[in-house]
Amino acid sequence: MVQIEIHNLYKSFKDNAVLRDLSLSVDKGEIVTVFGPSGTGKTVLLRLLAGIYAPDAGTISLRGQDVAGAPPEQRGIGMAFQNFALFPHMNARDNIASALTARKVGSGEIARKVEAVATLLKIDQVLDHSPRELSNGQKQRTALARALVADPDILLLDDPLRNVDAKLRYEMRLELPALLKRAGSTVLYITQDFKEAMALGDRVAVLLDGQIAQFDAPARIYAEPASIGVAQLFGDPTLNLVEVEPRMVDGTPEMLVGGAPIRLPASYAAASGGSYMLGLRPECLHLIDGNAPGTIPIDLMAVTPLNEKSVLLLTTADGRELLASEAGDREIPRSTGPGRIAVDFDVVLLFDRSSGRRFVPIQNGVGI
Amino acid sequence: MSASLSIREIDKIYQRRGRMPVHAVRALSMDVEPGEIVGLLGSSGCGKTSTLRMVAGFEDVSAGSITLGGRRIDCLPPAARNVAMAFEGYSLYPPLTVRENIAFALKRGRSSASDISKRVQEVAALVEIESILDRYPNSISGGQQQRASLARALVRDADLYVLDEPMGQLEPQLRAILRGRLKHLLKDRAMTSIFVTHDQTEANALADRIAVMEGGVLQQFADQRNLKETPANLFVATFIGEPPMNVFDASVARTNEQTTFNLDNGPSFSFGNNDLGPEVREAIGNRRKVVIGVRPHRVALGNGSSECARVVSNQWLGDQSHLAIAVAGKLLVAVSHVRIHAAIGETVTYGLRARDLHIFDPETTIALSHGTRAA
Repeated sequence: MVQIEIHNLYKSFKDNAVLRDLSLSVDKGEIVTVFGPSGTGKTVLLRLLAGIYAPDAGTISLRGQDVAGAPPEQRGIGMAFQNFALFPHMNARDNIASALTARKVGSGEIARKVEAVATLLKIDQVLDHSPRELSNGQKQRTALARALVADPDILLLDDPLRNVDAKLRYEMRLELPALLKRAGSTVLYITQDFKEAMALGDRVAVLLDGQIAQFDAPARIYAEPASIGVAQLFGDPTLNLVEVEPRMVDGTPEMLVGGAPIRLPASYAAASGGSYMLGLRPECLHLIDGNAPGTIPIDLMAVTPLNEKSVLLLTTADGRELLASEAGDREIPRSTGPGRIAVDFDVVLLFDRSSGRRFVPIQNGVGI
Repeated sequence: MSASLSIREIDKIYQRRGRMPVHAVRALSMDVEPGEIVGLLGSSGCGKTSTLRMVAGFEDVSAGSITLGGRRIDCLPPAARNVAMAFEGYSLYPPLTVRENIAFALKRGRSSASDISKRVQEVAALVEIESILDRYPNSISGGQQQRASLARALVRDADLYVLDEPMGQLEPQLRAILRGRLKHLLKDRAMTSIFVTHDQTEANALADRIAVMEGGVLQQFADQRNLKETPANLFVATFIGEPPMNVFDASVARTNEQTTFNLDNGPSFSFGNNDLGPEVREAIGNRRKVVIGVRPHRVALGNGSSECARVVSNQWLGDQSHLAIAVAGKLLVAVSHVRIHAAIGETVTYGLRARDLHIFDPETTIALSHGTRAA
């Protein structure tokens, strides 16, 4: 069942068109992460949903009802923002309870609910502290607790982990999905961190230039990004891009990468004759021994270990720089110098050079 | 070039009028080999920047000595140390263009004009600032200023290169490439380098060895692999690694055949004498309490595992799965480069292998053993 329905939304500030024909529909109980670089309109979208801004055009329906003109307090939405916004004169407990006091809930009931949500968020020990006595992480969780305590069926979270230190941020990333699922809310969660977007979202809405560039399950977006713009937002390091011009050789599509011919699956035949950018994820490039056909000669310039991976800086015969990454429990010691790499394609990512769109391979006449 | 750096028992005490002095660096000793890249890693206030400033000559040492290429330098002014620097507070000259700023570092030498121009061009290409060489420092972004400052240091022929957060403000896409280029340059020319960072990703990527600091004290000085596989103490174990080691308080029970670790409020793990090995058993000694640790990448999942736990979260990041399970009232995190399929709330089996076990003393926090070897 659709809980949030956005149709053809437009919003400009003076000459700046922030959202341009944005449509999105979120199912009940779903966690959707809204992900994109800063300045793409993520926060504006959330404010439109909350009723803080009014759209220039387009409609927003919540629970099947058009909410045009409805003020924020009538929309029944829970919110938490990156800048905490706690009441400074109230302790953490009263801040959290403030979401309930307006609703005529009994005081025993309030106390019970506040304790329960505070325990879940591990701030039950600091409920009597005032905001200035709380660490940033505790403030953030207090704000989150205030949003959660009223059991809102729609929850809007604007980068709530942004000001939290890396360690706690990681822990919260692990714990939030279960917490949000338990509450059963429909959640829109804004983030600028691709790992958070993939980790928390049932689906990720990638926001680029005021539009939804792709809306899909995280693994799918990573494996089959709709465009170069989307592909470049995911991965650490992000994918390599190489200009290629596939052509047919002996009935098989083929392309030159770093001077070496690489065969493409038959489903890529329609790409021959076109100009594309080949997207190579670093983890799909492997240093190999020997001189097998379909491998690319390279020079290994530097090995930079990255968190249980090794990132390798390679240069190809035509002077192009590529990044490869080797996963492994133990990093393999590598010496710099000449070698070869094989490309391990899960999905060959070819992007149209003018439009940036991904080429969809065709099998038996059908796009796959 | 290729000088060695030797730091001996240095202290830094900041005297503050009317207040208690601050002991920022305590009896720090370390040796940097010729051509080696060393990263000073720690959170703010750990003493890493004070150390770097003492090496560069911006701070006096309160005690101890610093020797570079056999020359004692701690009493020399910065300009006489033959140290190239890129850091905050050592900014670009505003009246000079970026090109002139970089070239200025070479003018004191006897390089010809064409040689200077070629070297400036090369280093500018390396850090991707070719397009702003004729701009003035105040007209470029903070990140560009940082890279110009880095270029100005790298272009020199110096005995030592001292760098402050060298890749701090770069966007991630460029950062991975520039790290590789910088490391290639430093290694290729055997430039002895020391840099500070609070970012362990940067330290891992660039450094041959990393000095982990906390509270003004050097905690461990080792390569990134040894920091992960043989952390000296609980601080290093729970600081290094993304995510860091899982650690649990445990009590120890011994029989003639095996040693059992009972996690506080959690399951027990028993290891036969042969599995655990004599070194580890001796290292534990008669302790009744220990802290045991296992790195997220070494948690054994599935087949042949002994314990069950509930999945709290399971997150696929495109090239790795992060699985959190509820163990002893905490989260045990497991990371795999192969996708793990398990839903939240489901039960999975897991185990700890003797070879992946790290044991620490709960009082001193010092490591007792790693795998089957005593620490």
